Amino acid sequence: MNGPPTASSAPHRPSRPSRLDWGTGATFAIAAMVLWAASAIDVPAERLKTAPGALLGLLLEFVPPDLAYGQQHVLGAILDSLAIAWVGTLIGAVLSLPLGLLAARNLFPRLGVPVKSLLAGIRAFPEILLAIYFVPVVGLGPFAGALAVGLHSIGMLGKLTADIIESSDLRPVEAVRASGGSGIAVLRFAVLPQVLSEIVALWLFRFEINVRASAVLGVVGAGGIGGLMMNSLRYRQFASTGAVILATVAVVLVVDSLSGAIRQRLTHD
Amino acid sequence: MSTAATMRPAATQVSGTTKGSGAGRPEPPDRLAGRVGMGVIFAGLVGITLWAGKLVGFSWGELLGNLDKVDRLVDDSFPPEWAFWPRLVDPLLETIQIAVLGTAGGCLIALPVALLAARTVAPRPWIYRVSRMGMNLLRTMPDLFWAMLFASAVRFGPFAGVLALIAFTVAVISKLLSESAEAIDLSVLEAVRASGGGWIETVRFAVWPQIIPHFVSYTFYAFELNIRASTVLGLVGAGGIGMVLRTQLSVFEYDRVILIVLVSLAVVLVIERISEMARRRLV
Repeated sequence: MNGPPTASSAPHRPSRPSRLDWGTGATFAIAAMVLWAASAIDVPAERLKTAPGALLGLLLEFVPPDLAYGQQHVLGAILDSLAIAWVGTLIGAVLSLPLGLLAARNLFPRLGVPVKSLLAGIRAFPEILLAIYFVPVVGLGPFAGALAVGLHSIGMLGKLTADIIESSDLRPVEAVRASGGSGIAVLRFAVLPQVLSEIVALWLFRFEINVRASAVLGVVGAGGIGGLMMNSLRYRQFASTGAVILATVAVVLVVDSLSGAIRQRLTHD
Repeated sequence: MSTAATMRPAATQVSGTTKGSGAGRPEPPDRLAGRVGMGVIFAGLVGITLWAGKLVGFSWGELLGNLDKVDRLVDDSFPPEWAFWPRLVDPLLETIQIAVLGTAGGCLIALPVALLAARTVAPRPWIYRVSRMGMNLLRTMPDLFWAMLFASAVRFGPFAGVLALIAFTVAVISKLLSESAEAIDLSVLEAVRASGGGWIETVRFAVWPQIIPHFVSYTFYAFELNIRASTVLGLVGAGGIGMVLRTQLSVFEYDRVILIVLVSLAVVLVIERISEMARRRLV
């Protein structure tokens, strides 16, 4: 609404919303929750004092990273993680595109709500819980991880695809319909050209998230670098952990900056 | 690039409305070169996909040929063993406590980090650069890696989970908050500085009032992320319901596993909804 400011035209000033009451109430509620949590998770004071030192000591044991181990095991595992993220993103992208279209309220007014709740339901299951169920079906290894990442990605990609389509310009749709275009023609000539670059940018963004997600799936045996991280810590081979962390940090940084640069070009034409 | 070419009309329309005077038709892009470029990119993407598919061992056969195993998994999981529920109450409460403490600690630490990593607020350019770099490094670590690290450093249990969530929260929230701090109205800063305020006064009177709403809203957002993350922390020994999940998973008690999964999802969704409502009320 961009009419004149209501204060000048209204006969009397509206009363101030009582923000303070909510604020103080919430502050007390939050403080109470924190106290409750702190008293329940009882942390002996000496452990609290030694924790930073313990962490620092552990971190120092990571250097120098075991580069031979890195070459032998970590390199392959981090490539597996990247492959899991790539295949997972692709599965998510391919399946989320039709779902996202169906969930767009401006194209399918009736279907929007049910499809969106389906997507929210999918989104609720974290990758790692999905992986728990894929492992017994397709076996231990990266394939289970890729399926878990793919299925979880559908939820977020479908919802944001629908959001992008909903904010698109409907006039081209009308124009194609008016000139007798079929549903397919509407998609091809009116909807996709407007939204495709934004959706591809979205897929890249999801790939960045999935690289991080796939890194931890090894915890439940679904392939990638996470298994090495866990085992090297369990057997206290900290130089190997150092190599794992180094590789993960480096790969995530490279993927983030590459993908970020491409996204920038895609969205700021 | 065909997408760029087809995007053009919309783009000129927007610039036409904002600038008023038409800037003239843009040059049509070089179609042939564009097509060749697209072809190369497309071939590259297909190549990467084939390679990645091979690495993960993608196989339709394995996916579709194992439907009997899905059957068995469903048989094993349903009906859930409801009688197991009383043993989930304490771990669930612990999960929530971990998320609360992780959020509170993380957001308190994220606040100064974000101020130092905001270009407009940082007292010195080098401080800004160092904090920004540290922040970006922190953000590369997946949440469960933090949990594994702390579970090794301070031994298994909820305390490791709290520390992991603190690290994770600092990484996420300091980034968001520093971006908000960079977008604030700078004239207020100038006013405080002009009247002789130092860095502390500037932050107290010019920056803080402008970023409080963002800070509150990010705190709730962090809580929502953390309550989600805290359910799986236990898979690596960092406390909460995930510890029970790990134990039951290792003995293949799928009728208990499904109960744990469903109950923790329900708790996550309910708490998220409450947090969202509170956030909307407050900000």
